[in-house]
Amino acid sequence: MSRLALVLLGVLPLWGQNFSQRGFIETRGSFFPQTAPSDSGRAIGDVLLRYEMAYKLTPWLKFNGAIDGRTDTHRQTERQWRVDWQDREMLRPAVSLRRFSLTANKGKWTGEVGKQFIRWGKADILNPLDRFAPRDFLNVVETEYLAVMAGRATWESGGETIDLVWQPRFTPSRSPLLLQRWGGGGALRGDLAQLPPTVRQGRAVLPTGQQWGVRWNHVGRGYEAAGVYYEGHNHLPLLDVRISTFPDFRLELNNYFAKLRMAGGATAIPNRWFTLKAEGGYFSSSTPAADNYFQYVIQAERQSGEWTFVGGYAGEYVTVKRNLLDFAPDRGLTRSFLGRASLQLNPRDTVAFDAALRQNGDGVWVRGEFAHSFDDHWSVRVGGSLIRGRATDFLGQFGRNSHVTFAFRYSF
Amino acid sequence: MNKLVFILFAGTLLAQDARKIVEESQKLHRSRSQQYEGVLEVYDTKGGKNEKRWQYARIGSYGESKSVLRFLAPPLVKGVALLVQNHPDRASDQWMWTPELNRDRRIALQDRSTRFFGTDFSFEDLEERDVDQSDYTLLGEEALNGQACYKIESVAKKSRTTQYSRVVIWVRKDILLPVQFEMFVKSELVKRLIHKRVEKVQNVWSTLELEMNDLKKKTRTVMKTEKLKYDVALPEEQFTLQALRRGE
Repeated sequence: MSRLALVLLGVLPLWGQNFSQRGFIETRGSFFPQTAPSDSGRAIGDVLLRYEMAYKLTPWLKFNGAIDGRTDTHRQTERQWRVDWQDREMLRPAVSLRRFSLTANKGKWTGEVGKQFIRWGKADILNPLDRFAPRDFLNVVETEYLAVMAGRATWESGGETIDLVWQPRFTPSRSPLLLQRWGGGGALRGDLAQLPPTVRQGRAVLPTGQQWGVRWNHVGRGYEAAGVYYEGHNHLPLLDVRISTFPDFRLELNNYFAKLRMAGGATAIPNRWFTLKAEGGYFSSSTPAADNYFQYVIQAERQSGEWTFVGGYAGEYVTVKRNLLDFAPDRGLTRSFLGRASLQLNPRDTVAFDAALRQNGDGVWVRGEFAHSFDDHWSVRVGGSLIRGRATDFLGQFGRNSHVTFAFRYSF
Repeated sequence: MNKLVFILFAGTLLAQDARKIVEESQKLHRSRSQQYEGVLEVYDTKGGKNEKRWQYARIGSYGESKSVLRFLAPPLVKGVALLVQNHPDRASDQWMWTPELNRDRRIALQDRSTRFFGTDFSFEDLEERDVDQSDYTLLGEEALNGQACYKIESVAKKSRTTQYSRVVIWVRKDILLPVQFEMFVKSELVKRLIHKRVEKVQNVWSTLELEMNDLKKKTRTVMKTEKLKYDVALPEEQFTLQALRRGE
């Protein structure tokens, strides 16, 4: 037996011990009964392959990696086969490094460097504190978090945790494509429902500055509280309209990102009847077209038998109004009653319902989903979203985007 | 009058004995830390089987311990983890890590009868209970599978919330290990927990296979313990929210 084989035989058990992986391949079809002003298509098909792995290089150092490969029928995904490590484009990359980071841990300290997910919020239906958590909003009601390039240092002792994050390279949320069904008149707040045919989507103008934030978390006797300070840019865009008259009349919409300073807090208080969670932050900006506002969410959560209920209210108080045009689904969901209920029918089947109702009744979104696992690997989800309301309302403007979805997944 | 005093005295003695047996049993089977891999087999009414594997680690004294449970399989739940910090005087603190959400969530089970990840065990069934949280009565002695057992009734004190009106426990006399539990809601027997395989591990009598029967739903769950180790050197940092995030 060669020396190499002997070495490999020796190393393989160690590799197995320190290596973990998971992933899935999912194919999904979304069907829309109605066409939209900027989209005549009624069906969208997606395929996504996700592979995640972690390898413990030493007892205190770990590598985390994840890669996505995807395509779709609606040109929401790039057609070029390149590996995108940044995920900052308007279209979803066909192949992207979803996560790529090193985590080190020594005693009370944990550090992570690289592309990673950072979630700071405590609530479940809206998270004003999630400033390092941009999202993919190509479908506004079925979103996914995007990782950010950052360095993170965490100190944890007893019930106290201090988290410092520095993000040198900005990652925006992916907003709906202008000439597709969630874009067009749809995703824009303001009265641009009837876009002339010469409207174009311009390139996003990404800020070059850094973002940083600090979070303190305290786990007390029967409660938990956190305070957050963030300085950087909002990952949700403002929209800049540029008009050109030569060689032809053209309106170009460009995403740009306001400077943002946010200070906020969150708490979770379990009691014998329900768990109360609250989260809020004050957002201020020196960017001329950005608002200053306070955003908050209060929710109660209760588990009863196999049911889980979450219900709450998301609110907003604007202190300085300057903004005319933006894509801000977080703000769009405020002044709303929000709810979620899920039921575990048996080990294989679950049903879940989500709902958002604007307090003035101008918009409503209801989603139901049934999930069934056939065995340890195969599962199916069948769901439907109903959206109704006034065209001037954030939710209501997507009134033609009610849809049903079927998704088959093979997990490994 | 004398008869009444005797009855009251005897009753107190029996109650004390029962409490002592439970206390001794807990003491005997305690460890500073514990680690194992588990397999859960959930059988539905049609005999269909659903299997889950997990890794479990615990440190700290009984009733004041910290534990982390992390699912290894099937792929649908792989990576989901639960951190539990038990307190002797109040409900435990619990957080769940869901890899798909990339975040921990504070969970509080107001209704601890909720099934543990779709099994026949409720979260309450898996909780550590301090001996002082219940009152005990020795119902007598009874042989179970050829083993002489103490039969003890446990009723939760008013300060403690529970889904069960009472629990009857069979404790083996020779090794003071509980081998069967019957759970009642009012007067109805709703669940039976059988310790099916009992072995000595590192000089500690341990249950390596449990079967929980839901007598109302007519389903059962078998929980098997593998690679069980006691008094393992586990660092405190492995039982924190950061450890959940790191995937340890």
